[in-house]
Parts: sequence; structure tokens; C-alpha cells
Amino acid sequence: MITGAILALLAVFGAPLFTVIAAGAMLGYMREDIDLMAIAIEVLGIADMPMLSAIPLFTFAGYVLSKSNAPQRLVRLTGALLGWMPAGLALVSLTACAFFTAFTGASGTTIIALGAILYPALKQDGYPDKFSLGLVTACGSLGLLFAPSLPLILYGVVAEISIDNLFLAGILPGILMIILLGAYGLWVSRHNRQPLKPFSLKEAGAAVWEAKWEIPLPFFVLGGIYSGLFAVSEAASVTALYVLVVEVLVLKEIRIPDLPGVMRESMLLVGGILIILGVSLASTNYMIDAGVPQQILVYITEFVTSQASFLALLFVFLLILGAILDIFSAIVLVVPLILPIAMQYGVNPYHLGIVFLAAMELGYLTPPVGLNLFISSYRFERPIMNVYAATLPFLLILMVCVLIIMYWPGLSLWLVPNG
Amino acid sequence: MSERDSWASRLENWGTRLESAALVILLSALIFLAVAQIVAREAFNTGLVWADELIKFFVLWIALVAAIAASRSDRHLRIDALSQFVAERYARYPRIVVDAFASFMCGMLAWHSWRYLELTMEFGDTVLGDLPAWTAYLILPLSLVLMSYRFLLLSISGLLGAVRDRESGKAST
Repeated sequence: MITGAILALLAVFGAPLFTVIAAGAMLGYMREDIDLMAIAIEVLGIADMPMLSAIPLFTFAGYVLSKSNAPQRLVRLTGALLGWMPAGLALVSLTACAFFTAFTGASGTTIIALGAILYPALKQDGYPDKFSLGLVTACGSLGLLFAPSLPLILYGVVAEISIDNLFLAGILPGILMIILLGAYGLWVSRHNRQPLKPFSLKEAGAAVWEAKWEIPLPFFVLGGIYSGLFAVSEAASVTALYVLVVEVLVLKEIRIPDLPGVMRESMLLVGGILIILGVSLASTNYMIDAGVPQQILVYITEFVTSQASFLALLFVFLLILGAILDIFSAIVLVVPLILPIAMQYGVNPYHLGIVFLAAMELGYLTPPVGLNLFISSYRFERPIMNVYAATLPFLLILMVCVLIIMYWPGLSLWLVPNG
Repeated sequence: MSERDSWASRLENWGTRLESAALVILLSALIFLAVAQIVAREAFNTGLVWADELIKFFVLWIALVAAIAASRSDRHLRIDALSQFVAERYARYPRIVVDAFASFMCGMLAWHSWRYLELTMEFGDTVLGDLPAWTAYLILPLSLVLMSYRFLLLSISGLLGAVRDRESGKAST
């Protein structure tokens, strides 16, 4: 108990999470008289996890895309295709950000790469400043539920379920978020009397042509996976190679001398995530052996009897978790423990995955420490309190989305075979 | 003093280059091997038997070399609440302690993983056919030792910074 409190204190004071987790595992092993060598064996277990190569590969591909001019092309393309609708630019922002986040993982790059283009454009289009700031901040993690986002892959790896099916499960809940946020944009811009821009076939054609190299990407990634041509990790390697060839050799937007720097930079997050995964394998193993999930289950079955009340409890827990931990650490640490408990309450593992990730997405926007809030405050040079206030309506809408996703399993499971 | 500084900064430079070179080689190798594996299967209906295992070791090495790089760039995942709400000059005191703790933990992990390596040598474990297993696992103690060193430096430089500021603070008042 005391050691646990000390570890928690170290974590709160900013110790690297993997060292705290490793310390926890070590103490557990010592208590059980297991040789501490076992921790090394568990960490080396990273090498035995299937599909794990998808994580460095997709991260690298996403990083290369964000360093090229692909963000501008994406904004132009969605603008040409969706900009004619009412609240068009809000919808454009939502869609472009969702696409971008799906391909770059949810690490704040979306706000940096796309927000800088969208924020001024939104204001110019007559949207209130507060709305525009909130929208670009909230958009930074939208798209988390769409393939091939990093959190989805990591969840699939940790929960040992089919990543292909998890990708399918995320589609409708992800669209739900875009629709509800888009509806809010429509509501906010109801007094905006600017004439709608007509759809221009010429501009659409030009935008499509400009993005001709990137447009095939989602199609062959998803097409390749669902036609059975290749596994998720293989799709990741093809994507990495394709992006490398296109942005570096064909479009020449990233110079070859800059490539080592881009590779290194892109792998920093990967190293951070995977070392936590490694030490968590050790701590999780200890906790499962010690029967921690069963103990929690025994404890909560006293007052939680139905699936509905379990989900309510889970919702509160995930909100708190998301406010403290980043999404990657949370997946690796918590999923192995709550998965067996959720199964006892009859929650489908794919549904649980989508609920988990959707709820953790709120964590990016939850004061006081949500990552997007800080990136936005920093990037747009606005006081953090302004960003809190501007983001609040979006946070509330997304909360409603999470509750819908939570209590409507069909939405997640509709597209999953045998779901 | 200046000579030692330049020597130390040269070491840092080479360290960064070595990490970057390792990451470039490993990541490129991973991409090409994985794609080659698909081509071999789809076009020639064959596969490289050892390729899948090798890919997994590449991922392990990328993860650990990247973890070294992340500790150099101070980019390990932390709960970063404190530095957001406490003034910089106070937030660094706990950082001195937690970085020292991180250094100690990495050292412990390094030692125990080295013990495991010795064990695999003793048993003559092999991977990828007949390659001694320790060659593939060597990266684990190595990366942990380097991370331990890195966190120690972070802790010490935090301490020195705090001492220096205190002294200059005294001098100015």
C-alpha cells in the first residue's frame, strides 16, 4: 500500500511511466519470490507479439505525410468536395482532421499540421473565434477510431483480438462523432448569412489531380486488408514504402538528407510506447497471476449487477483515466485488466475497444492536462483558459457520442463479422 | 574545462549519430524485408522462412534504440501535470528526484537483463537458426544502461542548474 502510494507519487511528479511500471512489476515479483530476470524475459516478449511491426511502420508513414505538403492537399481536396455544403468549412475541418489523425496516430500532429491552415480559414469564413479555436482543438484527436490509427492497432495487439475487425468496428462510431460535431457547426453558423459557395467541378478536378498520389492510399491499405491480400502489419510496410517513394522520390517534398532526421523523429514516440508495452507485459502478468482482475470483479459485483451499470462505472473510470494518462499508456496498462471483467458482464471485446478509445479521446480535451489543449494553446498562442472554454462544448458533444457508443453496441458491431 | 566540454559534446554528437544511423538502417531494413516477404508470397508463392522471425527482432531493436533516442530527447511518456501548473523553477526539483529514480530503475533492469543474457549463453540458446540468442537480446541491457546514464545526466544537470540559480540568486540580492 505504502509502496503503491510512493510509486503513484513518483508518476505524478513526472517519472517516466515505464520506470514506474517496471518498479511496480519488480516489487510484485520480489513479493512472489520470482527471479527478477523474468522481467527481462517479459520485455523481450515484445519480439513475440504479432502485428507489432505495424506500429513503427504506420507511424513512420504518417510522419512522412505530415512533413510533406500532403496536409495542404488534403484540406484543398476536402474543401473542394464538401465546402459547398452549409457549415461547409466546419465539415471540411472535421473530415480532413479525421483522415489525417487516422493516418498519423493521435499525437497532436493534426493540430500542428492542419490547425494552422484551418483556424484562420474558419475565422475568415465568419465562424466565431471561440468556435474556430474549439473546433481545431477538438479535431486534433478526431479520427482515432478510423483505420489505421495507432491506438486501434495497439488495442488490438494488447487485447489479442483481430485488428481487421477492430478497424471495421470503429467506422460507424467515428462517423457518429463527425456528424454530431458537424451538426453543432451548422447550429453555430445559422446566423452566418454568407452565401453558400457553389460546387466547382473544375476546382474539384484540380484538387483531385493535385492529390493523385495520396488518394489511392486509403483504398489500397483497406482494400488490401479486406480482400485478404495482406495482413495489417503487411499493409503498414506497403504504406511506408509507398509514402517514402512518393513524397521523397516522386514529389521530392522531403529531401533525402532530411530523411534520417525524419526517421529518428518519428521513432521517438514508438520507442516511448513500446518500452511501456514491454514493462507492462511484466506487470500485467504479475497482476493476472495475483488475480487482480478477479479481486476487482468480486469487489464490484457487490454493487454492480447489470451490464448497464457496469458501463456507467466504466465511463466514469475512463474519464478519470483519460484525464491522467495518455491513450497509449492507458491501453497497455489497463486493457488487460478490464477486458476479463468486461467479458464477465457480457461486453463484446470489439465494442469495449471502441468504447475505451472513444472515452480516451475525451482525455485529450479534458482540463487540466488534456494534450490537445496544450498543443492548441501553444500553437495558436492563446491562454490555456481560453482554450478550455472554447473546447468545452465540443467536449460535451463528444461525451454524448461516447455514451451513445457505449449503450448502443450495435453501432460498433454492425460491420464486424459475427460481432 | 573547455577541452573536456568539447570532448563531451563530441561524444554526444557521435552518440546521436549512431542512434540515428541504427534507426535508419533498422527501419529501412524492416520496410524492405516486410515488402519483400509479400512480393515473394504473392508473385513467387514462396516465403523466406527466417524473415518473419527477423522482422520481429527488427521491431524489438527499433523499439529499444528508439527508447534510447527518446531518453536523449527527453521524450519518454510521463504524466506532465506538474510542469504545466507549477513555475519552472519549482517544477524542476521533483524532476531531479524522479530522473534519479528512473536512472536507478533502468540500471536495475539492465543488470537483471544482463543476468538473463548470461543464462542464455550458458544454455546455448539460439535464434534464427543457429545464431546465439544473446546477440539478438544484447540490445536490451545495452539500451537500459544507456538510458540509465541519460536519466542520470538529466538529474545531475537539473541539480547543477538549481544550485547555480540559487547562487546567482544570492549574488543578485
